[in-house]
Amino acid sequence: MIQLYNVFKTYGGNIPALVDVSLVIREGAFVFVTGPSGAGKTTLLKILFRWENFDSGQVLVNGMNIGKIKERNLYLLRRTIGVVFQDYKLLPHRTVFENIALVQQVVGASYRALKARTWEALKSVGLSHKKDAYPLQLSGGEQQRVAIARALVNSPKILLADEPTGNLDPEIAHDIVKLFERANEQGMTVVFATHNHELIRKTNYPYIALNRGNIVRA
Amino acid sequence: MIQTVRNLAVHFRTTLNNLKSNRQVSFVTIATIAIAFSILGLFLVVFVNLDTFLTTWSREVQLVVYLEDAISGKERESLERVIAGNPEVESVAFVSRETAWENFKSTFSAKSEFLKSLEINPLPASFNVQFKQTRDRVEKIRQFAETLRKSPGVESLEYGEKWIGRFEKFMIFLKVFLLAIGGLLGLGLIFIISNTIKLSLYSRQDEIELMLMVGATHGYIKTPFLLEGMAQALIGALISVGVIKFVHLHMKLQFQDTLEAIARGGGFLFVSFSQVLFLLLASAAVGWAGSYLSINQFLNSIQKR
Repeated sequence: MIQLYNVFKTYGGNIPALVDVSLVIREGAFVFVTGPSGAGKTTLLKILFRWENFDSGQVLVNGMNIGKIKERNLYLLRRTIGVVFQDYKLLPHRTVFENIALVQQVVGASYRALKARTWEALKSVGLSHKKDAYPLQLSGGEQQRVAIARALVNSPKILLADEPTGNLDPEIAHDIVKLFERANEQGMTVVFATHNHELIRKTNYPYIALNRGNIVRA
Repeated sequence: MIQTVRNLAVHFRTTLNNLKSNRQVSFVTIATIAIAFSILGLFLVVFVNLDTFLTTWSREVQLVVYLEDAISGKERESLERVIAGNPEVESVAFVSRETAWENFKSTFSAKSEFLKSLEINPLPASFNVQFKQTRDRVEKIRQFAETLRKSPGVESLEYGEKWIGRFEKFMIFLKVFLLAIGGLLGLGLIFIISNTIKLSLYSRQDEIELMLMVGATHGYIKTPFLLEGMAQALIGALISVGVIKFVHLHMKLQFQDTLEAIARGGGFLFVSFSQVLFLLLASAAVGWAGSYLSINQFLNSIQKR
């Protein structure tokens, strides 16, 4: 469950990024966040895992008032959230397997669990045959699938995706959405930011539209 | 427990990778640390040896109480009783004017022509007082000398107070100098290590940010960098110990005789094991502090978004 009440966020003190945003995303929902560039989609997503702080308002994620979490305890929130980025954010000097395993390593998984879960995540995105490849040896779609596997490997409650299909062909984008749908079917709440209206129209999920930091449709 | 060992293994691997990928910068840092600690270490060697010389010389210090020529037998006996009664005194020996003159003549026999021409004995009688070997022996001699100075029959006192005082002052100065130079070098090294770690941090910025995003604790992020700083400082300090040992051996081989003569038989010493250990621990602390400064700054800059 994600709840935002009267959230304001500005950059540099005077450039508004979010203006009085209030919304509720139920547990297990699949929601698109849409709007033109600079609408506040990325800012909204970054606030949900406290990568960005907000100026005022209340944000509750999985029952945690995230504005009140101390810096040193933020890892507890972030371990319940998987994030996928438009630019994949894969580490180029690590193999596909190591990129995914990193998340398991960070949470202190045993080597056996790390291996099993990473393998499972790789299989779920159909890339088990590429486990020893380096990100730059993969196509854009494959890199994004690795990023999704990395976001899924810790079985988070919430999956945040910031324009995950932004750099991909429509067909590959469709496959990527399918992966998110599968995660959603397993009970994960999915918040999918995109400016691709075609994608929203085809899939028929509810969407939140932002424009210049304001919610124009929820 | 297994988890901690596993995490440590991961951190050590990361540290090693960091050192490898920043090879050039790490090399410069280690070399700088080695030079700085060598300077400090060489001063320490000088200090250790001077301190040993001082201790050796102090052990040989004795109090000589020169008596007035007109001292009565009673006064002399009473003075001897006072000296022998001091619990710190080990032995007291009376040297008559005649014995002193004979000793003097035998010591300066080369000048016998001049000595023969002297018709009078200019030397006074004296008590040679040996003190027990205690840590504050010189101070005790000093205190006792002051109490004796005004006793009847005492002409003057001699225990080398002037040169001991000067040497002690010089040692205090050297101690302060060592502390100051150690402090300044330490501070400088903290900044140098801090800068190296900063470079290491920026080269891995994406990875660190990613780890924070997926739920890494601050401890998990910090540990490899703290280890990196400590490793650089420790390697530098170990090299410096080698350099100091080399210089020490060279000096010993070249100037052994001269140094033994100055030290009255004592050899040219190297720093003790505990001092080497202290040097290594200090370097590790400096490395830790430098890394801590950078990583904290770096994490704060990420948090202030």
